[in-house]
Amino acid sequence: MPADDFFDRTEFVQYFRDETDELLQSIEGDLLRLEQFVDAEAVDAELVNSLFRALHTIKGSAGMLQFAAVQQVAHKLENVFDLLRKDRMPLTEGGITLLFDGRDVLTALVRAAVGGGETPAGVDEYVERLDAFAAVYDATAQAIEGPRTDDDADDLRPLDDAQVSAFEAEVARLLDEAERRRKEESEDVPAVDVAAAQAAVDALFSAEQSGAQAAAAAPFAAAFDQPVTLTLRQAQGDMPKAAAPDVKRPVSSKNQTIRVDIERLDSLLNLVGELVINRTRISDIAATLGRELGTNGRGGGGGGGGVSASLAKDLSESSALLARTTNEIQESIMKVRMVPIGQVFDRFPRVVRDLAKARGKEIHLEIDGAETDLDKTIVDEVGDPLMHLVRNCVDHGIEPAELRESRGKPRHGTIKLNAYHEGNQVIIEISDDGGGIDLQRVREKAIRMGVIDESDRLSDREIVELIFTPGFSTADQVTDISGRGVGMDVVKRNILRLKGVFDVDSVQGEGTKLTMKLPLTLAIIQALLVRVADELYSIPLDAVIESQRIDAADVRTVHGGEVITLRGQVVPLIRVAEFFRLDAPRDPNKVMIVIVGLQGRQVGLVVDSFQGEQEIVIKPLSDVIGRIAGISGATILGNGSISLIIDVHSLVASAYGTGKAARAEFSGV
Amino acid sequence: MSETVQVVSFKLGSEEYGVDIAQVQEINRMVAVTHVPRAPQFMEGVINLRGQLIPIIDLRARFGMPRAEHTKNTRIVVTEIGSKRVGMVVDSVSEVLRLPVEQIEAAPDMIAGVDTEYIRGVGKIEDRLIILLDLAKIITGSEKRELESAEVEATAAA
Repeated sequence: MPADDFFDRTEFVQYFRDETDELLQSIEGDLLRLEQFVDAEAVDAELVNSLFRALHTIKGSAGMLQFAAVQQVAHKLENVFDLLRKDRMPLTEGGITLLFDGRDVLTALVRAAVGGGETPAGVDEYVERLDAFAAVYDATAQAIEGPRTDDDADDLRPLDDAQVSAFEAEVARLLDEAERRRKEESEDVPAVDVAAAQAAVDALFSAEQSGAQAAAAAPFAAAFDQPVTLTLRQAQGDMPKAAAPDVKRPVSSKNQTIRVDIERLDSLLNLVGELVINRTRISDIAATLGRELGTNGRGGGGGGGGVSASLAKDLSESSALLARTTNEIQESIMKVRMVPIGQVFDRFPRVVRDLAKARGKEIHLEIDGAETDLDKTIVDEVGDPLMHLVRNCVDHGIEPAELRESRGKPRHGTIKLNAYHEGNQVIIEISDDGGGIDLQRVREKAIRMGVIDESDRLSDREIVELIFTPGFSTADQVTDISGRGVGMDVVKRNILRLKGVFDVDSVQGEGTKLTMKLPLTLAIIQALLVRVADELYSIPLDAVIESQRIDAADVRTVHGGEVITLRGQVVPLIRVAEFFRLDAPRDPNKVMIVIVGLQGRQVGLVVDSFQGEQEIVIKPLSDVIGRIAGISGATILGNGSISLIIDVHSLVASAYGTGKAARAEFSGV
Repeated sequence: MSETVQVVSFKLGSEEYGVDIAQVQEINRMVAVTHVPRAPQFMEGVINLRGQLIPIIDLRARFGMPRAEHTKNTRIVVTEIGSKRVGMVVDSVSEVLRLPVEQIEAAPDMIAGVDTEYIRGVGKIEDRLIILLDLAKIITGSEKRELESAEVEATAAA
């Protein structure tokens, strides 16, 4: 196969995967829009064209890489859109479902083709269904238009002899031209294997003229530069659907964006982290040097002191410049890593549509703020929790249409997805106008599960928190959508792991609002530095509400635990030194307290002193040490010393760890 | 010339130990160690080694020996096993030795209170005995213990 000599297959497969992923995503969006035209007089022609084009491109690329199954299904789907755009076929409910299924089959096939896996099950069955469906309209079309060649022959029609010889002459001319140019500027034009090209041309015109073979010739076309490819297309005349028009894209050098492996960005970010640390260090050294020369230089009285002093000044200036540049590099890399949350949101219209159908519900999905940027790692990690929450809204949140009507609500429920920036955080909200969380039922279920006792008096908030108990579900029956009871606890844990905060707000009968607050990035955070037992600890600033110095006499004891009253609210205290089992004498007069808050719960952390705020680069503690309760990592400060980062989640949990639910919730975090 | 292994030898108390030189990345003087609270007791803490966080094991504590005051001879032997880097605090580092393989014997059941689990063998050179350590065991052992202690803690909290 001469094609392998022309291009690096792995690179093309990767490109194919990326390109096809995007196309499949756009197909899904288009199908969702197309669905509104079901049983309508006329469909949006531009929409159908866009679908047709996307499938056509997939078909072309798949053909080039010899992914026959992908090519076949894409081709058959393309046919359906062809019928649609020629008004030969009405758009029915059954039709659109078939097309949605087709998109899924295609996705599975692409995965299998790219990953080298087995052909997914159900493809043959789907192709039969599609064929049977299309055959009806195809027959009608044929009656009007005359017979058409079907299947793999694509829309290629046999060319007459004159066309063939004209084309062959043109190809021969082009080959000569290419050969001539190669001799002239041998480095600029890729060497064209004339024999291979001839073989490809022969294949193109061999008896069967199948689409696959046309595609086999395509890489050859790709080896020419653009003008040649265009000429080839003209020469093809009325065989417009060969793969050639699409293959020029992979070799195009005009692309303004590049795809970069996220690992490369990660290592870049790590290096910048080091740079930031050293930058601070150099500034420190420059400052110290300046001070020492300022005093000693004069005392020495020698001429050398003057030279050193000016050197120290130079050092200090260039270290300031270094600091500025480093900051800019850091910011730029952070920006490069930012991707829009829309990458995740895009999946949901389809999910909601399918689930709503399966459950016989009517649901609108509204999406806002899809363009909100956040760190790629977080976008990747947040997808699954979001998916779960959206499914929950469909399954448990929105009531069936009849029930909604009887409650005086519109028949169709609405789920809103919203994302926006707030300070250094990204807020993602998922809300529905469904039935809300049934507190009574949650309570009963919790009692049945033995999570709480009949006699326990719980606030509404505490009852809502019960849904985060592992294994908790109030669904009457297990459905394939949700209700297995694995979920909310996992969702919450995932979000906590991202240093996020998760909040549930529910009004019975009116709906539920889930809010997650996520950091823009995971690697660099603002922290409050505090001293405890002669070590510096960092407290992530996003959890800090305020810091206070209070009289020791204001600390009271309730149920054996220390508390303070802050603006009428009782706040439990944790003495950090004692939590970490360190020796530190208590100050008999005053208490330094950092109030940290998490999901409406506040805790006062008692420290020895406050040491100011600083931007820190988070580093994990070595896994040789293992996981330490209360510590989430460490950072290296400007002077080279290490500061451990306090894990606010586990401290708050330990202060509120009196309820069984809270304990279950946090034991794994 | 028979086959030899190169080891870095160091002292804990009066005993002499050795680790495979291929696993030793560098030897440093004692530096400020940041204590990590609630870590296993033999975990001295972490140090900043040119921008990297390196966990430090007090080898005396690891072997259940009494801790010793740090002196000017105290060293941190930074070792690398797989992708893991660990520093070990030792009383002093002696030298790099070549041990003929036939001079290495299996570990006797008990050496100076050190669990033979961590010992690969004992090398003889002239009238000295060098206890050769199995670093991987020392590190993974610590992880295992950490897990156990975490479990104990979780149970205690529940």
